[in-house]
Amino acid sequence: MKNKIMTICLCLFSAALFAQAKKPSLMVVPSDSWCTTNRVMEVYYNQGVEEYIPDYKLALLHADLMNVISKINILMADRGFPLKDLSATMKSINKVNAENSQLTSKTSGAALAESPLDRIRRAAKSDIILEVDWQVKSTGPKKSITYNLRALDAYTSKQVAGAQGTGAPSFSAEVAVLLEEAVLVNMDSFVNQLQAHFDDLLTNGREVTLDLLVFDNGSGVDLESEFGGSELIESIDNWMAQNTVNHRFNKSDATETMALYEGVRIPLYKANGMAQDTDGFARELRSFLKKAPYNLDVKIVNRGLGRAALVIGEK
Amino acid sequence: MNKYSLVLLCAIFSISAHITFASNPKKEAAQWKYDIECAGTGSEGTFLVKIWTYSNKGTIPNEEAKKNAVHGVLFRGFAANGVGCVSQRPLIKDASIQHEKADYFNSFFGKESPYLKYATISSSVPEVVKVSKKEYKVGYVVSVSKDLLRKDLEVAGIVKSLSAGF
Repeated sequence: MKNKIMTICLCLFSAALFAQAKKPSLMVVPSDSWCTTNRVMEVYYNQGVEEYIPDYKLALLHADLMNVISKINILMADRGFPLKDLSATMKSINKVNAENSQLTSKTSGAALAESPLDRIRRAAKSDIILEVDWQVKSTGPKKSITYNLRALDAYTSKQVAGAQGTGAPSFSAEVAVLLEEAVLVNMDSFVNQLQAHFDDLLTNGREVTLDLLVFDNGSGVDLESEFGGSELIESIDNWMAQNTVNHRFNKSDATETMALYEGVRIPLYKANGMAQDTDGFARELRSFLKKAPYNLDVKIVNRGLGRAALVIGEK
Repeated sequence: MNKYSLVLLCAIFSISAHITFASNPKKEAAQWKYDIECAGTGSEGTFLVKIWTYSNKGTIPNEEAKKNAVHGVLFRGFAANGVGCVSQRPLIKDASIQHEKADYFNSFFGKESPYLKYATISSSVPEVVKVSKKEYKVGYVVSVSKDLLRKDLEVAGIVKSLSAGF
């Protein structure tokens, strides 16, 4: 018996010792402004309203953009933090789409079950988006580059790092050379800011967003329903306060059918020492709501490393 | 009696050693009396800096300029100027690390001079400016291999790598 306890203790200890926080993925994409200037925007009609979205496939045919993305990828890999590549991700998505459309069951010939949400979700995405933009400025024969690189947290919509500036004007240098210089010169201060963001994350917990929604299934349960003398939303607030790092969270918006929690600082590790993401944190909240006096069914929608939605009412 | 005198001698020796080797802020400030400024865009993985070293004579050894350049990149950083530079923060954000890891940095800037492998003098002739009656500042353009320096500091555990903790 003692041996068993010792073994379990050792396993937990080693899990805690070697646990690593989940690494955010980063990907460089051209900014909307760059795509508009270079006419690589796709037009679509959303219920009659004209909307523009960047056409990355077309943008990647731009040689300067490929050079810039490649240079940033190289410099980040050199820092021990390889990035997701936009071009490779797009190709991989196309390949998976093609394979999935042809995949059938051997026995019944059934195709894959795929919801419209699955199709929308299968897009190039990352936890932190590195948005790059530049303009070539000419003053007489002199050329200079105004360069802007921003790191945006996909879940909190915060800019976590940035580097912006105009390089020295040159008579002779080509645009590609000026661009390379702009990337090199601005990279160190950019990475320093990114490092500060990661340090904050490791010290104060990951900052995530949680959406609480309610299924309109006629059960009458919503966030104002009372359990044991208090409203459901109050119980959820109390649970959040108890389970966030230093009780840090912000309820930005709430009605009887929805609540938006932003700036939720979740611990990087679970109680057993394993790495935790927002999906795991949402599952803990679901377990709380499943118990008495609530006894609620909750569906979890994973929206990435830093965002999840809980839909109350049914699965 | 002999035993007591031996103990006494040891105590005197240790106290005198402490007084001699204890960090003296004024002495330390004099040791690192230099100005650092950006001298342009260096090649990939390097910073090109101009180091102005203060001296009683109009000349300084090349090693002195290299030592100050590496020290400047490590602990001071430099400001932007009009030659395409952007301001750079020091590689080591917390300056107190120089004291906390005194053994490492004493050896780094010591006799064996491991810092020399990170710096190259780019200007063959130094610029000399007379500051006062008895003081000059000597300017060298030095290229510092900051990427190599940062990697070695990461290995030595002085700075954290970007992926540390993940």
